[in-house]
Amino acid sequence: MVDFTKLEQDITNSLSKVTDLESLNECRIKYLGKKGEISLLMKELAKLSDDDRKRQAEILNILKNKTLSLIEEKTEELNDRNLNEKLSSETLDVTLPVSSSLGSIHPITQVIEEVVTIFGDLDFYVAEGPEVETDYNNFTALNTSEHHPARQMHDTFYVETQTDNMQNVLRTHTSPVQIRSMLEHKPPIRLIAPGKTFRCDNDQTHSPMFHQVEGLVIDKDSNMSHLKGCLEIFLKTFFETDKLKMRFRPSHFPFTEPSAEVDIGYTKKGNQLIIGEGNDWLEILGCGMVHPKVLQNVNIDPNSFQGYAFGMGIERLAMLKYGISDLRTFFECDLRWIKHYGFSPLNFPSLIRDLS
Amino acid sequence: MKFTYSWLKEHLETEHQYNEVVDKLTAIGLEVESVQDTGLAYKDFIVGQVLEEKKHSNADKLKLCKVDIGREKVDVVCGAPNVTKGMKVVYAPVGCVIPVNQMKIKAAKIRGVESYGMLCSEYELGISNENDGIISLEQDTEVGSSYADLSGMNDILIEIGITPNRQDCLGVLGVARDLAAAGVGKLKKREFKSKKGSFESPIKIEIQDNDICTAFAGSYIKNVKNVASPDWLQKKLKSIGLRPISALVDITNYVMFDQNRPLHVYDADKVKGKIIVRSAQDGESFKALDEKTYDLKKGMCTISDEEKVLGLGGIMGGESTGCNFDTINVLLESALFDNINTARTGRDLSILSDARYRFERGIDPRSTLEGIHYATQLILEICGGECSEIVLAGQISETLNTIHISGQNIVKRLGLEITDDEIILILNSLGFGAKKSGDSIHCTIPSWRQDIHGEADISEEIIRIKGYENIPTSNIRAINKVNKDILNSTQKIISKAKHFIASEGYNEFITFSFSDSKKSIFFGEVEKLKIINPISEDLDILRPSLIPNLLASIKKNTARGIDTLSIFEAGSQYSSTTPEDQINSICGVKYGLRISKTWRSEKKEFDIFDVKNDLLNVINHLVPGNKKISISNEAPSWYHPGRSGKIILNKKIEIGYFGELHPRIANKFKIKTRVNLFELMIDNVPLTEKKTTNKPQLILSDFQSVTRDFAFTLDKDVKSSDLIKAALNVDIKIIKSAEIFDLFEDKSLGDDKKSMAIKVVLQSEEKTLDENDINSLSSKIVEAIEKSTSGTVRS
Repeated sequence: MVDFTKLEQDITNSLSKVTDLESLNECRIKYLGKKGEISLLMKELAKLSDDDRKRQAEILNILKNKTLSLIEEKTEELNDRNLNEKLSSETLDVTLPVSSSLGSIHPITQVIEEVVTIFGDLDFYVAEGPEVETDYNNFTALNTSEHHPARQMHDTFYVETQTDNMQNVLRTHTSPVQIRSMLEHKPPIRLIAPGKTFRCDNDQTHSPMFHQVEGLVIDKDSNMSHLKGCLEIFLKTFFETDKLKMRFRPSHFPFTEPSAEVDIGYTKKGNQLIIGEGNDWLEILGCGMVHPKVLQNVNIDPNSFQGYAFGMGIERLAMLKYGISDLRTFFECDLRWIKHYGFSPLNFPSLIRDLS
Repeated sequence: MKFTYSWLKEHLETEHQYNEVVDKLTAIGLEVESVQDTGLAYKDFIVGQVLEEKKHSNADKLKLCKVDIGREKVDVVCGAPNVTKGMKVVYAPVGCVIPVNQMKIKAAKIRGVESYGMLCSEYELGISNENDGIISLEQDTEVGSSYADLSGMNDILIEIGITPNRQDCLGVLGVARDLAAAGVGKLKKREFKSKKGSFESPIKIEIQDNDICTAFAGSYIKNVKNVASPDWLQKKLKSIGLRPISALVDITNYVMFDQNRPLHVYDADKVKGKIIVRSAQDGESFKALDEKTYDLKKGMCTISDEEKVLGLGGIMGGESTGCNFDTINVLLESALFDNINTARTGRDLSILSDARYRFERGIDPRSTLEGIHYATQLILEICGGECSEIVLAGQISETLNTIHISGQNIVKRLGLEITDDEIILILNSLGFGAKKSGDSIHCTIPSWRQDIHGEADISEEIIRIKGYENIPTSNIRAINKVNKDILNSTQKIISKAKHFIASEGYNEFITFSFSDSKKSIFFGEVEKLKIINPISEDLDILRPSLIPNLLASIKKNTARGIDTLSIFEAGSQYSSTTPEDQINSICGVKYGLRISKTWRSEKKEFDIFDVKNDLLNVINHLVPGNKKISISNEAPSWYHPGRSGKIILNKKIEIGYFGELHPRIANKFKIKTRVNLFELMIDNVPLTEKKTTNKPQLILSDFQSVTRDFAFTLDKDVKSSDLIKAALNVDIKIIKSAEIFDLFEDKSLGDDKKSMAIKVVLQSEEKTLDENDINSLSSKIVEAIEKSTSGTVRS
């Protein structure tokens, strides 16, 4: 009769002494291998009487399963220990630097996209016109005759080609896009026209090139209260504050009547302008009801149609919203500047996500 | 325009504080640009008298003065050469701030002597450039009195911006009239007795050209004594920053700023014969009061006598008939010059004057006679003498323009409910004669409002006075959309391209649309791009390409110590200066290191394959789906001839270029390292109309794919694209891809040989390829490549 109790003790003892996977394997072979003690005892069973075989087989099976589970436990324990050892040796200086591969979007592009997003939601399409314009489109059609004093305030750049005997110009504002668009489309019209504009002026607060966005609405009944409503939505959305205060003041542009300039309320905290707080006013845009003569010039009957127009400086919007203090830096092409003031290329202004 | 509050109050009776008036000015369209309490800056300055004056023991040029300032006697060290005993002076006590330099006076030891305060010059007070000596006040000035009161500085100086339409507010009277209409007071009528002329003017006036001058009134005043203006007049002019000259000149200036009526005064004894208002003749010249000589052209309006040109009508008088302190007889002019002619003449001759500024904006015709009467009166009062009857040449129209307006239309334009009665009330307060006439309102336009022509103009008057703050706010969201698309296809392409290129590591720059013709000759026909009046010599043309300005920016950044740059610009370039010749383009530039030396990498410079990769990626982004892209060596001349390429889309569209900048150009820009760049021709990107949102069906094979590598010895000029093309063409269904994975040159291959290796992926959609299939395809691939490239396979 085999001493099963002793065998079980042997197995438990030898497994408890195992300290690595190799000796564990030896142990497994010793008991469960083809010629292992348990395996041999299994083979011996055939020689026993039915009763003995049955009884011993039961004992042996229990012993075999127990051994297997002990080995499994041990394997896990050893693997765990090995992994811990490995982990403790695998350390890196994670503070070592890596570099970013994204470039950046210019604040002018960002602001134009924001403006387009807001007005697009209000059903304004984006119109464009050339930067070299005819004198007629830039001035005359906009009710600014050759000798109109407003014309001399424009500091126009002239180029060498002519149209209808008048020197072509670099457009001094985006307003000629109004003319081109109204000649092309019949009312109702709702458009904005962002783009480059040029004036022969170069000092601390002027750049010979800058950007404007023009807005135009022509239909049967758009009036000054709609203009007010339109600009209120735009300015509140753009500056991302419902507290924005707005003030309309009478002004004069040859192509609108009545004309207005719009101020927004702000306060200064340190070097920062806070839009939407305080009692100081800052001029932000010019606007008005389209002058009947402008409509006549583009063959729209001013007795049947009317509407409003507005125009504002993109740089000014960008400076106010993003705290950029110097106009001229927009075009100085300093990499450090664009890395500081630029925007992530994966940031698309949106009214359902973020505008900025 | 500048005026003082006290001057305004001469025309406006008001209970309101000045700050309320200031707010109202802005509200009615006379935008206040600055408000200055002029008294404030001078409030501490007091009148003193020098009691003693002796030389400073340690300094030749300094004097020690004892000054009586009323409340006490103080010691002041003074360096002015004109300080004398008994002199009445302007004393700045300790703590007072000197206006010209904002310096605060402190008690100080000057070369060992205590000095309390300072004696001031006009320059130091900021009232003139006179700095040779300190101010010497009249002897009867009271010691200890306030200098601000004495000088008339105790006032509020208001500066407003007058928009070009509001010519009527270029005089204080007009501003007061507008304020009265807006309800902040009552307009005062200035009373003055007009002395009847006692004789006929010996100088006759003839207008030869009625188009350039419709009326010319003259008043001859004899036996005047031109003196320094009285105190009140001098103070008035000084208060708005004008320099008093002599009574005759000062009076004309005063009337101009007070009533917006430009006048001119001639020394009558220097006029030969009669006054003739005529167009200049070509070749005539004239010396103006500004001491410059101007060459005149036909059409310019001159005031001449029988010998010479005396003045440019509405712009500037001449030196020959200018008044001085010896003048005895004068002719006073009050005329109506054509605004367009005045503007053109002023612009052609580059003369800016207060008269031109007013005439080109339009002058109230009725001010012609009112102004000459008032100024004549002032001359008689101040300079004495006797005046002639007014002589008037030409005509001053008596009739006023009228228009009919509809109250309904005003409401429709303003979006504001307002009754006809209120409209009439506002118009009448502004001096319009407005009354109901059936369904409409009949308006007579006042003579001083040259800017009112139609209903739209009237609507502005109404809302200006009613107040812009009263316009309600209406919703503009319409139920029916006006526009189908917000952005057009090109705009979408540009926006997508910008973001994609920036995501490839490029930073967006915006440079001027101008560039330097000398540096742009490589990129286009610069003589077709000239700007007539450039801002500077190196920005003298419209840019033929985005490249030159970006190259210039590289230079600027390297000067700041930045040695690696990835930049791009999206914008217009031009092929001529007509509106049609504007081209949309994007240029990306990589300069310096692709990988800088870091703790885990060696440095590596950018090469043309970086920009090629970026350009192809953006093209794939902009033109997704099936397309054919081919690449040739034919990039434009500004690229390195051997290291550049052109990308052709669908066999015919030149969509972009990439490569290294031509070294000759890099040299011209003084850039020493290689510059790699790409250009994307936005206008050539095909605008594909989306027919369906469905993507083509996807067929994926479940059979195993096999990869085989082949290497070939080839002539150096064999292109990789030829290998790939040959391989793919063997069986376009089974050969899924073919890629170059190795390239080298070695002497063992031969001098003009290279080795190129290609990795081919084979996969059938019908079965698993067996050894036979693979071997057969492999030999076909080798054969095809050898045949098309004349190379040999390497085993």
